[in-house]
Amino acid sequence: MHRRRALRQALTGGGFGLSLGALAAFALWTSRLGELRPFAAALGALGAAGGALWAGRRRWSERDVALYLDARLGSAETLTTALGAGAAEEPALALVVERAVGVLGSADPARVKPPLWSRWHAALPIPAGVIVLVCWLPLPAAPTPPPLAPGAELVRMGDLQGLRRIEALARLHGQNPEQDARLQKLAEQARSLRERLAKGLERREALSEIAKLRDGIAAERLKLADQQNRSGLDAALRAFGSQQALKDAARALSNGDLTAFDDEMQKLANRAESSDRQMAKEALAEAAREARAKGAKTLAEALEAERRLFERRQAHADALRELADGVTGNLSPEARQDLNEFRSSGDPKAAARLEEGLERALEGLSPEERKRLAERLEQRVAGGADDASPMSRREIEELAKKLASEQGIQGLKEELKELAKPESSDDAEREQGLGDADRGGSAAERGLGAIPMPMSEDGSASDRSDKSNAQKSGGDAAAPPSDAGSGHDRGAGEHRGSTPEIAGRELRAKADAHVAPGALMHGATLGRAPARAGETANQLGTGTLGSSRQTEIGAVDHADIPEEYREQVGRYFEP
Amino acid sequence: MLRELVDTQAPMTDTTIASTFEARLALARDTSVRLKRAIAQVIVGQDTVVEQVLWGLLASGHVLLEGNPGLGKTLLVRTLSSCLDLRFSRIQFTPDLMPSDVTGTNVLVLDAGAAGRAGRFELHKGPIFGQVVLADEINRATPKTQSALLEAMQEHAVTIAGTRHTLEEPFFVLATENPIEMEGTYPLPEAQLDRFLLKVAVPSPSEDELTEILARTTGKPTGEPERVLSLADVRGLQTLCREVAVAEPVLRYAARLVGASAPGAAQAPPLVRRAVRYGAGVRGAQSLILAAKAVALLEGRAHVAFADLQRTAAPVLRHRILLSFEGEADAVTSDEIVRELLACVPTRPEAVERAAQAV
Repeated sequence: MHRRRALRQALTGGGFGLSLGALAAFALWTSRLGELRPFAAALGALGAAGGALWAGRRRWSERDVALYLDARLGSAETLTTALGAGAAEEPALALVVERAVGVLGSADPARVKPPLWSRWHAALPIPAGVIVLVCWLPLPAAPTPPPLAPGAELVRMGDLQGLRRIEALARLHGQNPEQDARLQKLAEQARSLRERLAKGLERREALSEIAKLRDGIAAERLKLADQQNRSGLDAALRAFGSQQALKDAARALSNGDLTAFDDEMQKLANRAESSDRQMAKEALAEAAREARAKGAKTLAEALEAERRLFERRQAHADALRELADGVTGNLSPEARQDLNEFRSSGDPKAAARLEEGLERALEGLSPEERKRLAERLEQRVAGGADDASPMSRREIEELAKKLASEQGIQGLKEELKELAKPESSDDAEREQGLGDADRGGSAAERGLGAIPMPMSEDGSASDRSDKSNAQKSGGDAAAPPSDAGSGHDRGAGEHRGSTPEIAGRELRAKADAHVAPGALMHGATLGRAPARAGETANQLGTGTLGSSRQTEIGAVDHADIPEEYREQVGRYFEP
Repeated sequence: MLRELVDTQAPMTDTTIASTFEARLALARDTSVRLKRAIAQVIVGQDTVVEQVLWGLLASGHVLLEGNPGLGKTLLVRTLSSCLDLRFSRIQFTPDLMPSDVTGTNVLVLDAGAAGRAGRFELHKGPIFGQVVLADEINRATPKTQSALLEAMQEHAVTIAGTRHTLEEPFFVLATENPIEMEGTYPLPEAQLDRFLLKVAVPSPSEDELTEILARTTGKPTGEPERVLSLADVRGLQTLCREVAVAEPVLRYAARLVGASAPGAAQAPPLVRRAVRYGAGVRGAQSLILAAKAVALLEGRAHVAFADLQRTAAPVLRHRILLSFEGEADAVTSDEIVRELLACVPTRPEAVERAAQAV
């Protein structure tokens, strides 16, 4: 009886174990751990052993067996009573024992055997079959990995275009040692980013780094129209007045484009008309004074530096014109045309072409002509030439003596190159370098497949390779710089156009359609804006949204507002 | 061990003793059959009632018969006493019945011949001094008079005027009562009820039984039934009943049944918890075993089975279970409580029961 019960429990435990094994095998199959599937069947054996163990621990006592037999045989607890009789000699117990013997003797063993199988055991083949089936089934296909988050893909670029232009900031001179350090740091960050990109970097991280670099570059640029310099800039612009000759320079200054302003000053310094130059110098000095008085220290220093540079440029131009006048008879017609353009417009390109013409003219001089040139130079020196000339009196004398020889001619050529070479202010050079780095950052973003956010001068026509180009063309900021579109060509060529009249009078634009080069796009958020590629939305945008165009700032002065209310209205609208 | 029982103990058993006991069992069974047959000459139907009264007789316990008037309760007792060679007495309980009317009293007896009219007290025994006492309509007397039976029923003795008088054995009280709801009745005190081994519910006769009753009682009077059992026979049967063996699991089952009838017991079924105020006590468990022994004896067995306990549970426990207010309000009967106990209290361990039921 005990064996049958243990076997029954073992079967039950085995069934339970097999059921667990089937579940485990299925779980292994779904997990694609195919080699472990057959081991799930071992759970059946474990369950059987557990069942047998359980049956052993729950083994029936003799009394339980007697009760079971009485129940099965219907012997009305005869066996149970006889079991408890022991060695008692009571007559009733003696009779009970005798009857118990009779009951056991006549009992059918098949009837009293505990059942081995239960109906649940009929389901044993099911989990076993499931295990076999799961072991036989091929493993399911591997699940496709989830798509990468936008920008999470790894980018590996050996040399990302544009980053080296940011690295060039290391060679730029800052306004002070602190700015030098910041520029060095930006360059170092660009170099580090380039190296990390060569090893592989997430696209979004790379874009974020570039955006930070561009933010750093934007922070280093001169902001002549910011809160601190605005009133000073306004005052400086008033100092330039409404002189026609200074109009372009004033416009460049009002746009905060120090490079364009520097170009205009170069042209003014090159001009032969002394009144224009004097006017420009006085305007610069007055503007610097006004700016300093208004507390715009940065702007005042920039203007003063520009004034000092203006004087040097003026001396260079004078020297160039002196030499050209000395050999005017030997100049080619093109050189003479360049000389005339140089006198009238002061265009640096004309200066460069004139320098080339002068070199050719000096090579063709006869000894007699060289002698006459030397004499003229001596007469010029004796006539009291300006001390500010790049060539001092003694140097001109030395040069006049050397003109008799070939070495003298060679030295003069080199001097000419120096004279014709355009000289930029420190601020302009720095702005130029920062702008170039910013465009490098933009190119780097484009190289990573992002659409760069236009910055203050991003894509503008103020490319240093052609500083003045496209300043007037304005609208096509993304167009590559070229020589076309210069509005300053006042040469002797044919410039008459044939623009037909447009039949559309009613299409006049009422709004000011002027788009200042380098001006902000409408609605563009600069700085740490959520919309920037690679940036997070947790950063507060701190760009130049708070800045206004200079034309807007000065609008109150030019508006039709009575004089007595103008200041009040201006204060009201002052940001 | 069972195998050892078969192999070793059987030869050691005194087969003579066993045979003797078996013969006594057979005799008892034969006697009871004859007794039933004699009673059946007078009483029509009521087999269960007669059977249960015999349980009480064999187990030396008192029996309370409850039923509506006219169901033959008194006739049954009178017939039974006629079949037994025992002294019969009857007490008709009425509201003005006094305890001394039951137990008896000392009466002053004057000696007529003596000078000075000297007298002495003589005990005038009451009807309690019988062997088969019929306490007819016991609940019509006041509780004070009902309580006069307490000492006699429990100790088989009566104390009158400070003198204790032992009653002659066997002493067997058969009481009848009308349902409590009937007018002019007093409920028996719990202590009094507990003295009764069994409370037998006398049902109304069926149509056939009633027809037979009419045929017998409206014709020529029939004679008295024959005496079946002598005093010695009765005593022998009662002794034999006490010798019936009871296994420990059966005793435990009786203990579990009685224990579960208490509403505060952990194993008490929900109905008991809700509808019972007091459950059966120790005397109830004793009565259960004694009655079960009588059942086994009447069936010719030398031991008690679970089924015997289940058969006797209702008459033994129904007057020992006091319903709570909620139980009475819900019209729960004590017989329902007993059925619930039998349904909820297992006879065997669960695993054994499950294996025994498995096919």
